[in-house]
Amino acid sequence: MYLGLFVLLIWTLTPIYWYLKLAFLTPNNINIFPPVFLPDDMHFGAFFNIFGYDYTTADNILLPASGQASQVIRGLLNSLFVSIISTIITMIVIVPLAYTFSRLTFRFKTALLLTILLSVALPPISTLIPFFAMYVKLGLTGTKFGLIIVTLTITIPFVTWMLIGYFRNIPPIEKLGRIDGYGRFETFLKVFIPVSKNGILVAAVISFIFSWNEFTYASILVNGTKAVTFPTSISSFLFQHPHPQHLSASLFLGMIPPFIVAVFLQRYISEMNIVDPLR
Amino acid sequence: MRQNKEISDLKFALFMSLPVIFFLIFVVIYPLAYAFWMSLHKVSMFGGLKFKFIGFSNYLKVVTNEKFWDALFVSIRFTIESTILTLLLGLLIALILSKPFKYKTLIRSMIIIPWSISLYGCGIMWAQIGRGQTGLFTAIYHLFGGDDKVNLIGKNYVIELLALGNAWNLSPLVAFFLLSNISTIPKRLYDLADIDKMSNFEKFWNVTFPPLRFTIFVFTCITIVMSLKLHDFIFTLSQGGPGRVSSTLTYEIYKLSFKNMQLGFGSAMSFYLLFLIVGSTLMLYWLWGRRLEK
Amino acid sequence: MMKLLFTLIFSFVSIGYVHASELAAESGEDVFFRGWQYRTDIVQSNIDRYNNEMGGNVDYATVTGDYPAIMEQNLMSGGDLDIFYANPSQASRYFDGGWVKPANELPNFDEIKADMYPAMLDAWTYKGKLLGLSYFVSTRGTMHVNLQKLEEIGMSESDLPKNWDELYDSIYKMKDAGVKYPYLPHWFSEWYGISWAYVWEVMNRGGLVADPDTHQPMLTADGPGGDALRDWKRVWNDGLIPEEVLTYNESSYMEAFKSGEYVISPQQIYDLASFNDPANSKIAGHVSLLPYQGQSWGVLDSAVYVMSNRDRSDALESDVEKMASWYGYKDQNGEPFVGANWLNVSMLFSGYKSVMESPDAKSTIQNALARPEDYETVLEVYKNTPYPKGVWSVTWAPIFNSWLKETMTEFLLEDKSVEDTVNAINDKINELNDEYGIGG
Repeated sequence: MYLGLFVLLIWTLTPIYWYLKLAFLTPNNINIFPPVFLPDDMHFGAFFNIFGYDYTTADNILLPASGQASQVIRGLLNSLFVSIISTIITMIVIVPLAYTFSRLTFRFKTALLLTILLSVALPPISTLIPFFAMYVKLGLTGTKFGLIIVTLTITIPFVTWMLIGYFRNIPPIEKLGRIDGYGRFETFLKVFIPVSKNGILVAAVISFIFSWNEFTYASILVNGTKAVTFPTSISSFLFQHPHPQHLSASLFLGMIPPFIVAVFLQRYISEMNIVDPLR
Repeated sequence: MRQNKEISDLKFALFMSLPVIFFLIFVVIYPLAYAFWMSLHKVSMFGGLKFKFIGFSNYLKVVTNEKFWDALFVSIRFTIESTILTLLLGLLIALILSKPFKYKTLIRSMIIIPWSISLYGCGIMWAQIGRGQTGLFTAIYHLFGGDDKVNLIGKNYVIELLALGNAWNLSPLVAFFLLSNISTIPKRLYDLADIDKMSNFEKFWNVTFPPLRFTIFVFTCITIVMSLKLHDFIFTLSQGGPGRVSSTLTYEIYKLSFKNMQLGFGSAMSFYLLFLIVGSTLMLYWLWGRRLEK
Repeated sequence: MMKLLFTLIFSFVSIGYVHASELAAESGEDVFFRGWQYRTDIVQSNIDRYNNEMGGNVDYATVTGDYPAIMEQNLMSGGDLDIFYANPSQASRYFDGGWVKPANELPNFDEIKADMYPAMLDAWTYKGKLLGLSYFVSTRGTMHVNLQKLEEIGMSESDLPKNWDELYDSIYKMKDAGVKYPYLPHWFSEWYGISWAYVWEVMNRGGLVADPDTHQPMLTADGPGGDALRDWKRVWNDGLIPEEVLTYNESSYMEAFKSGEYVISPQQIYDLASFNDPANSKIAGHVSLLPYQGQSWGVLDSAVYVMSNRDRSDALESDVEKMASWYGYKDQNGEPFVGANWLNVSMLFSGYKSVMESPDAKSTIQNALARPEDYETVLEVYKNTPYPKGVWSVTWAPIFNSWLKETMTEFLLEDKSVEDTVNAINDKINELNDEYGIGG
């Protein structure tokens, strides 16, 4: 039993460790062959470098600040902005929608649900083709506005689907609203939303993670522009003449927000029933 | 009185879903239609955006293109392997976590980490692990006295490495949903199984497994869709390489559309991919899901 | 009081100085400067100096992934992009796309031109226009030798090959002497990886992939193009090459050589400095190069700072010209500051005589090498490096290049025939010539 848990943890954490150890190494220790499990002389240099500070190791090796510090910082800010705005828009759009789906029967319901499921099935790389052509015409490449719009094609369909399942399992509390003399819309706002706030929060958090981690769109639409997001800005440590230690340190930083969220989420995630809407 | 104030279900539903209908039209349907329109044209962007109508020749060009069939095969192989691995791992994780143990919250939080890591990040990590020069397997091999490189990003194993990495990322999610299903199974059933002197496997097969079947079906669909759609992970892990060995349909579409700038041809191939995704999930539903619903 | 006075006078003088300088920025608008990732710390410090001393607002960032294609997308959409790196092969295409403002439009063009080596002026001139200003010049494909490993297997420098034919034979000898993989070929997965390696090997062997003027295909199965392929196939099929090199990026490629397992590998000539730097490399002090002995090695790799011709205000237009001139040629003191800095820091050669023939240049280069006597060898190899005008100075250059990269990798992986591959390359060139209306 505990052996199983142990193996499970090794399986989960090794890939992360294997890459993240690079963040703590000096360049001439990265290329040691054969690769080692526990390298010597680990330090935090790379974390200073990526924010534009030099670092001198205990052995007096100077690790110069990365010249990409300004774009790392810009990327962090842009990613925060894009993720928050698209999360807000997503929530405004989907909460009423998921509500109608889980509570009402009306014509076109199946058609609408199928369209949403279809948009879950659309591959981002395919969605990007028409968007790229349109954006070139409209001058929207390299803008945060343009990026937010396409990011919605990822967040909205999937999160709607999750939320429908969650709403279905909420008991029919609308009657309470009627007793208070509320109309339908008021019932939704004042009775239903407060009761389901956990689920809505989880949905918001998931849509935040999705936009925070989005790379395919950003790598084509905002690469090298002022609207560059964190994933694209750090991918510049990846190609041509990369600095693995900087990439690793940045990747580590980029993992922190989703990680915090996931820890919080693991308690609630199974309530987001993505199975039920299909029944 | 009250009845008059109430609006009909349809009207209320329409009102509530207006934002999403708006969204669907402008951000899903219109671009999709535009993509279809593009696929009927030879699109050239060099020296200004130009469209030349060529009917369905792009679609014909796709099916007569050897690279399309290779990529289709790679996609299917990758998807099947990913799906099997993800579900097996997910089930395994769920079974392990369903037992009582100490530090439950801490351990569960660690188990879900892979799912929260971005796919481009996973690609970078797994490239480091799989490559002979820097890889984990080389390190292990040397630990046991070997002196060669164990490279997985090569002709033979790169697709398996991709599938393994993909499963590493997706399986925690599957596990957490299965776990919530398992927790609803009444303990009484296990007691009955003990009376029947069932072995552990029989218990799993007869008691634990049946209520999970629908969830497993849904996640099979989800994994298939996710794997067929996957791009950024492959982009950072292997760049479709070596050569075209791990070039899936998504990667082939990326190359056509954004390296060679043949946007019309790229959209035509995209529609084949979309048919594949929709078709395979519908087929799975028809073969398997339908029976589970009753 | 005196202090205040001094401060006032000083600031007056310094303001006056900046105004007097023709290179100071005046528009107050951002100038967008983009490049690929190479020693970004140095780039940023150069930019900082410009921004501080010339009052500039230069916004520097890197662009990554498939650089030629992403740059084309950015140029196409007319986004924020003023000055950027490009290899001449990409710059030619961008020029035909109508996105490049040639360096001929700079006020000090004549001075710049007079300071350039004729070979570089020729390589960077396309359709009569100078595409951009010198960033670096190098021989990519200089054969680097790890002397330590060579000694370890009991061989000496006299056993080293003089040309490509001998090189492949010597790999077998090294293998017999006990090195598993003696040779790390330049077959990695970047746009300047395996495809360039093929182009230069054909040229080193005395052939051409395409005609420099008409761009018609020139390969024959029994000529140098076929010979190169046959040798590739031989060493590949005999398991002398680690398969993973096909998926390396440039860093993995360099890291692999730095780890000291290989004897010989074609690399950038300037990376001799990096390989011999103890802070960066396990084989520092032991890396030398194969001399020129009647056969050239590698290809003339270079990059220029290109100006885009997007819509700009007149003030910004003039700022872009000033920045390009300051960064790509000489600073306000009349020194080729950026070029000299690159030579100092990482031994990047320049297209300017004023950089390469400065009093310090020789000792700078010597200090970066494993042995002082390698200096002459470096210059000799560099002087004899060919430039593939036929496949680089043409509109379809980047498209052909990415196609060739895939084709060469498949030739190895799928064991395709030499004849078919040579024919496929020729057909592709014909097809591209048709598509872009070249030479017909």
